[in-house]
Amino acid sequence: MIRLYHVVKSYGDRDALRDVSFHVEKGEMVYLTGPSGAGKSTLLKLLYGAERPTSGKVLIGGTDISQLPAGNLPMIRRNVGVVFQDFKLLPMRTVAANVALALEVIGASEEQLRRRVPAVLNIVGLRGREDTVAGVLSGGEQQRVAIARAIVNDPAILLADEPTGNLDGSMAVEVLEILQAINLRGTTVLVATHDIGLMDRFPHRKLRLESGRAVSERPRR
Amino acid sequence: MMQLFRRTLRGILEHLYLTVVGAGVIAAALLLIGTFVLVVRNLDGLVSTWNHDAHISAYFRPQTPAEVQVAAQQAIAGRREVASVEHVTAEEATVWMKEQMPQMAPVMDDLGKEALPASLEIVLKPEYLTTEQVEAFAKSLSDAGSFSEVDYGRDWVGRLDTFLSVLRIFGGVLGGLTAVGTLFLVANTVHLAVYARRDELAIMRLVGATDGYIVGPFAMEGALQGLLGSSVAIAMLWALHQSLEGRLATMLPAALGTQELAFLPAPSLLLLILVGTLGGTAVNTVAVVRFLRSLP
Ligand SMILES: Nc1ncnc2c1ncn2[C@@H]1O[C@H](COP(=O)(O)OP(=O)(O)OP(=O)(O)O)[C@@H](O)[C@H]1O
Ligand SMILES: [Mg+2]
Repeated sequence: MIRLYHVVKSYGDRDALRDVSFHVEKGEMVYLTGPSGAGKSTLLKLLYGAERPTSGKVLIGGTDISQLPAGNLPMIRRNVGVVFQDFKLLPMRTVAANVALALEVIGASEEQLRRRVPAVLNIVGLRGREDTVAGVLSGGEQQRVAIARAIVNDPAILLADEPTGNLDGSMAVEVLEILQAINLRGTTVLVATHDIGLMDRFPHRKLRLESGRAVSERPRR
Repeated sequence: MMQLFRRTLRGILEHLYLTVVGAGVIAAALLLIGTFVLVVRNLDGLVSTWNHDAHISAYFRPQTPAEVQVAAQQAIAGRREVASVEHVTAEEATVWMKEQMPQMAPVMDDLGKEALPASLEIVLKPEYLTTEQVEAFAKSLSDAGSFSEVDYGRDWVGRLDTFLSVLRIFGGVLGGLTAVGTLFLVANTVHLAVYARRDELAIMRLVGATDGYIVGPFAMEGALQGLLGSSVAIAMLWALHQSLEGRLATMLPAALGTQELAFLPAPSLLLLILVGTLGGTAVNTVAVVRFLRSLP
């Protein structure tokens, strides 16, 4: 599903990623770990098309997205859901409106909105909170709204960059459990985090980055 | 289309204040331009009325016999430049003066019948109305010798004409600078409106909206702002025109020109609306597209 070949990403003379190669299979859930500044966020940005690699290939489902023209970016984004540490919700809008936004932009019908929004809110455990204004929710709840928005149009891949960074204890575990549940429904999930203690509670594969290099896993053939 | 309209409306309602400010700035810009055009138009109109009015007064020397005056009138009436010649006798001139200024009547009576000279009031045909032609004609009358003075008021009309072209150049430069200034103001206001919605735009981008989808409502909002702004500008221009017209009528005597204060004709008003609407659309579109370029 995700394949990186000798990916290098430089910002000026600073190398954020140096020759990173790895694969994530369809339906897999993988943790991306490493110290601050290791290049985790940079790697995710390559996967949702926010950055292009300086060299190397970034394949998603067989397509090298680093070669696609900029006009194809929306198509990549519809196939790759993203969740951030800071949620990126519209705090003045309701939970339902925040989730529906991702459907509206792809031209979904009213009927689809009515069906899909409650369904994903159910997955993240926020059924019944549709009409609450997002800004008043707790951090854990807001992150779950963000996850619902990321999966509402059924992307093949879900990326999460420090999804638990602003959450503590049980809320963080809850969010990771939801990501795991989504993975079990068939979505490929890649989670960047430096919270090793938390990850150890989950059985998934880990890819460790250090100074822009993958250290704990050799690329598979 | 319905959906685009709904999204536009939602955007406007969520940022009503900025939308109104944007429309207001557009209105101010168009009002400036409109006022300028209106002023130039009316001054132009005034000059051309005066030009058409331009008649030549030739005053006879005192004690010129009546039959000489009549002969002169007939001779001048025969010239090809002349549309009409009216003979004003000294008595008629005195009566006219008394009517115009009743307070002067006793003085006039003291001065007697011949206080004012008899004259010929000559109107030239429109095709002989260039400054040079009028000057040449007046000079030929002076040279004939029977007139003490030939007054054609044309020298100051000519000067006014020069003054107006200077004003027009000056106004053009000033108008150009103002236009650039207001364009900056409009661009800044719109930039502010985009900035206020940066999070929403970034999120839409993140979840796979195409640029066209994002730009659409902004373009439409810009068109509505421009439409509203230009309508307000025209309404204010009209109000300005009305109040000036009333005031000018009492301030300026009819001597300065009896014409009404002209308003902008329908095509100009349409143009103003078109400029406002297209301008609003363009400015908004450029602002959003530029912002989208800056997004990852
Ligand atoms: N836009 C940028 N311009 C310049 N340098 C950048 C940019 N983005 C990232 N970097 C640099 O690239 C390196 C990797 O950054 P990245 O954000 O990927 O690290 P990270 O592993 O996500 O760290 P953290 O755990 O703190 O989030 C860092 O040294 C960072 O300073
Ligand atoms: Mg990071």
